[in-house]
Amino acid sequence: MTLSQILDERAVVSAPSPGLDTVLIAEDDPVFRHLLESWLQRWKYRVVAVENGLDAWKVLKQENSPQMAILDWMMPGMDGIEVCRRIRSNDKGRYRYVVLLTAKDEKRDVVAGLDAGADDYLTKPFAVEELRARIRAGRRVLELQEALLHAHQALQFESEHDPLTSLWNRGAIFRVMEKEAQRSRRSGKSLGVVMADLDHFKEINDSYGHLMGDAILKETGGRLAAAVRSYDWVGRYGGEEFLIIVPGCDAAGLNASAERLRQSVSEQPFESPVGPLSVTLSLRGDRRSRQNGDAGL
Amino acid sequence: MTQENLPAPGRGAWNKAETIESLGGDEELLRELVEIFVDQSPKLLNKLRDAISSFDAEGVMRAAHSIKGELSCLGALAAAKTAQKLETMGGKKEMAGASEMFTSLERELKALKLSLADFTQS
Repeated sequence: MTLSQILDERAVVSAPSPGLDTVLIAEDDPVFRHLLESWLQRWKYRVVAVENGLDAWKVLKQENSPQMAILDWMMPGMDGIEVCRRIRSNDKGRYRYVVLLTAKDEKRDVVAGLDAGADDYLTKPFAVEELRARIRAGRRVLELQEALLHAHQALQFESEHDPLTSLWNRGAIFRVMEKEAQRSRRSGKSLGVVMADLDHFKEINDSYGHLMGDAILKETGGRLAAAVRSYDWVGRYGGEEFLIIVPGCDAAGLNASAERLRQSVSEQPFESPVGPLSVTLSLRGDRRSRQNGDAGL
Repeated sequence: MTQENLPAPGRGAWNKAETIESLGGDEELLRELVEIFVDQSPKLLNKLRDAISSFDAEGVMRAAHSIKGELSCLGALAAAKTAQKLETMGGKKEMAGASEMFTSLERELKALKLSLADFTQS
């Protein structure tokens, strides 16, 4: 799986992966298993140790499973190289760092191991410094991946959100509307759209300055986002205009939504350095459903 | 000084100093590993013996491979070499002389265990 595929998966969460500090050890030999486990724990890794490849694969299929795997080549049931192949062909989400363990006389196998998707290998018996260095190298790769995923997420957020209000920006809310329109055509459920406009916004800007105007926009965005259902979408259409997508509602539901939005702004005056400011919102809505075609509000 | 030149029961059955060094100087860890090995090796040895007597080449290869790995981890290089020969025999399915090889492995392991016991009881 390539990085872009991982990014496309969007199985990406904003918290650092819990699997980053955990290492899977698959080793049938108890001496080596104990050796690996002891060192890794000393280096503050959480360790999941299993005795064969089948159990290793079971662990890796779980959510938040270890991102680094040390797999012995020769194991009963499923060998390390088969686990490695499965990781590369079936694994979804973040890239996993795989270290294969081989015996000294199996150097020729190393090529096959790397071809099967291993990132690195360790030859038994190994000195502790070597183990440590290889683990560190793997950790670097995984941390780099983590940093890339976060950078990607941040960019993605920026590209889809309005920097002032953190609502969906114009481009994003249009794409959302298009998707929801397709969905509504498919499912037969109606789709409501509300356009909301802050009243007399120019006067606020003119009287109190643009900083105040920005603060009002920001507060309005927060209030609108809090007033909708979890599956509605709120975007900043531009200037003091907001676009709210309300999937799956009847005419009365859309009216109620619009009224909730209106009240969220007008009910409480906005706190400001010059005292409470009353702000109002004008709204118009439109609804489309299979039964009635287009119907104004 | 090579391991093979030494009489079997001598301290040369395993290279303690080098092994401790490879463990970053951690004698306690080595002690734990030795204990696991001492506990584990009779089972592996039985597996190997059974595989040899039933001409199970694959089984010989696997059991000898495990023994070889553990021996090399503990720095018992001479015995590891013998186990390695058995592994190769199993791998190539050329088992002539496997029984004799097994007997010398057994002898080497006996000597090794004596010096391992020296270490664990020290």
